[in-house]
Amino acid sequence: MIEKGKISAFQMASLIYLWVLATAVLTIPGITAKFAERDMWLSPIFGSLIGFLTVFIMCQLHKYYPNQTIIQYSERILGKIPGKAMGFIFLFLIFHSDILIVRDYGELIATAFLTKTPLMVIMGSLVLICAFTVRSGLEAVGRTANVILPLYIFLLVLIMVLLIKDMYPKHMLPMMENGLLPPLMGAALPQTWFSQSFLISMLLPFLRDPENGMKWGMFSILAITLTLMATNLTILFLYGAKTTADITYPLMSAARHISIAHFFEHLEAMVMAIWVTGIFIKLSLFYYVLVLGIAQWLNLSDYKQLVLPFGFISAVGGLWAAPSLQDMNHFLTNIYPFYGTLISTVFPGLMLIVAVIRKKLMGADEDCSLADNRT
Amino acid sequence: MNLGAVIGITGIVIFISLYEWPKMGPTQKKEKASFITFTALGWILAVLLLFIPDLPGPTQLVRAIFKPLEKILER
Repeated sequence: MIEKGKISAFQMASLIYLWVLATAVLTIPGITAKFAERDMWLSPIFGSLIGFLTVFIMCQLHKYYPNQTIIQYSERILGKIPGKAMGFIFLFLIFHSDILIVRDYGELIATAFLTKTPLMVIMGSLVLICAFTVRSGLEAVGRTANVILPLYIFLLVLIMVLLIKDMYPKHMLPMMENGLLPPLMGAALPQTWFSQSFLISMLLPFLRDPENGMKWGMFSILAITLTLMATNLTILFLYGAKTTADITYPLMSAARHISIAHFFEHLEAMVMAIWVTGIFIKLSLFYYVLVLGIAQWLNLSDYKQLVLPFGFISAVGGLWAAPSLQDMNHFLTNIYPFYGTLISTVFPGLMLIVAVIRKKLMGADEDCSLADNRT
Repeated sequence: MNLGAVIGITGIVIFISLYEWPKMGPTQKKEKASFITFTALGWILAVLLLFIPDLPGPTQLVRAIFKPLEKILER
């Protein structure tokens, strides 16, 4: 096996939590508010259904093909050439998401904090530090997530607590004025973020305690749902639906709003800390999964030599990902919900159906004997 | 200015190669081939983006495929 490190199921759960929330917590509330208005806090609940489904599909596939990642077992399920094609589609989505994350990070830092620094320098420095982490292997990524998780939750809760005195819960009334459709439409974006949990299929084979994988996966989806609901409610109580829809990064504006006794002010630095740490984990994971996936797709014996070349491609690709921030946001709002979920939930779901049928037709022992002969 | 950037890009690529090359064993032929391919791809991409900043990328490809669905979530 290429990866020798092992992580615990809890580390996997903290990775899922951080990688889904990293970008979701800042960019999603504004876009959800456009569709769902006052009911934006309901959208994560609908979105989480896709998350639970994805985790379930991945854990079932993992049961059929333990010790293998989705890139490897897609070949076993679909045959050599269709399997390679499917693997390529997954890798394409991961690569595309990877460069979109780099760009997203660069744009926020460049517009909100480092206005005079070239985009390339901001993106390059993030990719470089992620390259060091990825080169150290999966264990390093998992442990970093464990270290960052308490800090992340603490800062997020702190911002919400400090905003309590400015909240007007009346903003959420009347509830479901236009029926269930608006919050369902608002769930279009959160659900595709939840569907990114399909990356656990690249982590499940490296779990120290694989029997807990499903439990912790589901738990982290639940935690993400609650966090997103809390964030959406905070922002809704603070700004109301109409204003929220016009803000690109509502949580950032909310943090700027904090002023307690003219002493606690300009706390957007905390949001920056949340953003940078979250994106750091998210990019490390996507980057790790990308190089590992490519190494497995090409049947290489190691992935470490691909880390730096792909770091270079990701940093440059950040510029390639979209002509402008508006263009990227349009893509993320209008197309990514279909594109991401199709590849990361629907395709694996179909693969699971094929795997189940194959197992029924060919008997139980075929898969086991193949599993022992794998290279 | 562009020439300077090309030299800079080439410098980074050479630095990556110098760092990574000695770490690969003599038997790892495929690994070496993959390293050369992806490093070369990175160099080509960087230089292309330097001269054609609006180079169509994966985003445009996916958008072309999913064009019929684009209007559903228009707001």
